[in-house]
Parts: sequence; structure tokens; C-alpha cells
Amino acid sequence: MLKLNNVQKTYDNFSLNCSLRLRPGYITGLIGPNGAGKTTVFKSALGLINVEKGEISVLGKDPKKLKSIDKQEIGVVLSDSGYSGYLNVLDISKLMQNFYPSFDRDVFLKQCRQFELPLQKQIKDFSTGMKAKFKLLTAMSYNARLLILDEPTAGLDVIAREELLDGIRDYMEEKERSVLISSHISGDLESICDDLYLIDQGKIVLYEKTHVLLGEYGLLKVSEEQYQVLDKKYVLRIKKEPYGYRVLSDHIKYYMENSKDIIIEKGSIDEVITMMIRGECL
Amino acid sequence: MKIVIHNSSMQPIYEQIVDQIKCGIMNGDLSSGENLPSVRSLAKELRVSALTVKKSYDVLEQEGFVVTVHGKGSYVASANQNLLLEEKKKEVEADLEKAILNGRKCGMSEKEITDLFHIILEESIC
Repeated sequence: MLKLNNVQKTYDNFSLNCSLRLRPGYITGLIGPNGAGKTTVFKSALGLINVEKGEISVLGKDPKKLKSIDKQEIGVVLSDSGYSGYLNVLDISKLMQNFYPSFDRDVFLKQCRQFELPLQKQIKDFSTGMKAKFKLLTAMSYNARLLILDEPTAGLDVIAREELLDGIRDYMEEKERSVLISSHISGDLESICDDLYLIDQGKIVLYEKTHVLLGEYGLLKVSEEQYQVLDKKYVLRIKKEPYGYRVLSDHIKYYMENSKDIIIEKGSIDEVITMMIRGECL
Repeated sequence: MKIVIHNSSMQPIYEQIVDQIKCGIMNGDLSSGENLPSVRSLAKELRVSALTVKKSYDVLEQEGFVVTVHGKGSYVASANQNLLLEEKKKEVEADLEKAILNGRKCGMSEKEITDLFHIILEESIC
């Protein structure tokens, strides 16, 4: 669906160099700290910026060469909605109808009511949550095969996030749809993504399937003495702590079976991110 | 079919799904030939990633509990009660072995362990 191969882009004090792949039927997550390059990845995949090197293919085509018919297959949420704040939902649904032949106005308006969006209120007066829901609903309103969602849940409360994620889950029940999604909230990604790319300073530092990350990655908390005798075969990162060491491993089962009396915690995306970025290699 | 995911358990989520589906087959909640929900819809229901569910179904298929037909989905394979019982027996064996090892570790004699075994056996008739 989407492929980036050694894509490079340099700004004044930032350079992006990354490869990633979104498979048909997958929800792939992109996580990383602020300024890691997530939005740059999204923009280059959409052909909104010029990249210096590397190949990009979106639905099998160069994003710069996508025709309007191809763009009807892609639904996008970026940080800005792009709609004039002076329009209301009804106005925009008329616009969409003219842009996208497969747009279904009745369904769209029904969904807007379901998400409790006021149909006649100007978008500029929407709350953050309403705007976020509206952006996602428009992106999903014309049967796009590929959704590119840059932080669709930013600024939302727990309940609104859950509603939004349910919306995406419903959308994925149709076959051969794919989603590339970024978020700061790892809980969102844990529950929805099939695989994850962790990006830091413009580079992909980790790629893993979510169930592997949650099931096989974990933290060992060991004292100085335990650390000295620890088998370091499956150690990814370490971090010095007052009590000894915090160790990130991608094979906690091995340690559960072989090392007694060590505190082992199951992996979480937050822990993995912090350790991969702040921890030291051996 | 009811599946409950324990998110903070050390047991990987896919194993939890595998175990609970096996349980369902064993106690007759799932009968042979019955269709399992599609990967996407079960993932949605449990709020886990689709690949997690896929992995569970793959494991169940490898072990012979489930058959997947391309384009039709997965369903419960026929007559696997014996296989399941066998597996349960193995689990019980392993648990007993562990208990005995634990007993020996703290210096209990064979007699003490067997006595304890019989006491518990009698007490837990229900």
C-alpha cells in the first residue's frame, strides 16, 4: 500500500533517513518523541514535500504523480483540517459530494450525528474533540483504501479517543484497507496497531509486531551483582539506576526460565520507547 | 464465546486467547464445525491488534484445534476432545511435579508429601 525506501530529507538541523512499509490489511503505527520526524514521513508519503533521495510508492505510484482519481483512494488526517472555519458540517458535506463520487452524504451525516457533532455550527467554533472527530469522519467518508492519520487522537479525552479508535476498527472490517497512524499515546497504538515503527531523530530505531513487543519484550530490574552474572544474550538496552540496572530485553521468556529472583516486567510501548531512546547499548 | 483478556498478566495476549478458545472447545461451548469470529471482528471486540488474533488462530491451527479455509474463515476442527484431555493431563502432571520438587526443596520426606497429597485430595472433594 505504502512503501518508503531510504527516503532522505534535510532541514536546517534535522535530517530524515527512513524506510518503512505498510502492508494491505494492516494498521501500522509510527511512534516517536516530538520532533522525531513523524510528520515529515507523512508529508513525504503524500508528496507534500520534496525529498532529496529514495523512493516512495503510494498505492503503487509515485506520490507526485497521483491523479485525482488515485487521491480518492486515500483518506488523510493532518494536524490542520484544511477546511475554512466559516463553513459548517452541512456545507462541507456538499463540498465533499462534489469532490468524491463515492462520498455517501446520508451515511456521513448519520455518523456526524452519532458522534454528536452539531451540523450547523461553524467549524471554527468546534471544540478540539469535535474537530478531531470531524477530521477523521471526513477522511473515512469516501471508502478510501488507505488512511494516513497523523495524530488523530491528539488533545482528546479518554472517552473520545476510544470512540475514535472504534471508528477506525469498524473501518478496518472491510478487506484490503490499510492505515498508517501516529500517536503520542501508546495505549492507543497498543490496542489498535498490528505493527509499529519507532522513529527517533529521523531514523527508524525499531520495527516490531505489536504482539511480539507486548509479549516478548520486557524489563529486567537487577542489582549490580545480578547484572554482573546476567546472561547478556538478549539484552537490547541498559540504563543505570540507583538500585543497579534496568535492562530491556526482547526475550523475557528466556530470563523467566533461566534467571531466578529477578524482577521481570512485561513490555509496554512506553517503556520500550524510553529505553530504546535513552538507554545505552551494550 | 466469551474471552476475557488480562492486560497486565505476564502471559502473552495471544496465549490467553488460545487457552480460552481451547477451554471453550473442551467444555463444549464451541462445538466442532462451529465458525470462529473473523480475525478483524474478534480483534475489535477484544481491543487487541488483528495480528495478535491471527497469531492465536495460527497456533490453534498448528495444534489441530481449528481449521482455516481461505476465504471462509476459521472453524473448530472435529473431534478433538481426546487431544485436549491429553493436553490437560500433561498440565496436571507438570503441576504435580512442581509441587513435589518444591516439597523436596524444603526437606519434606516422600511420606510427608504423599500424606499431604492424600489430605488435599480428600478435602477437595466437591
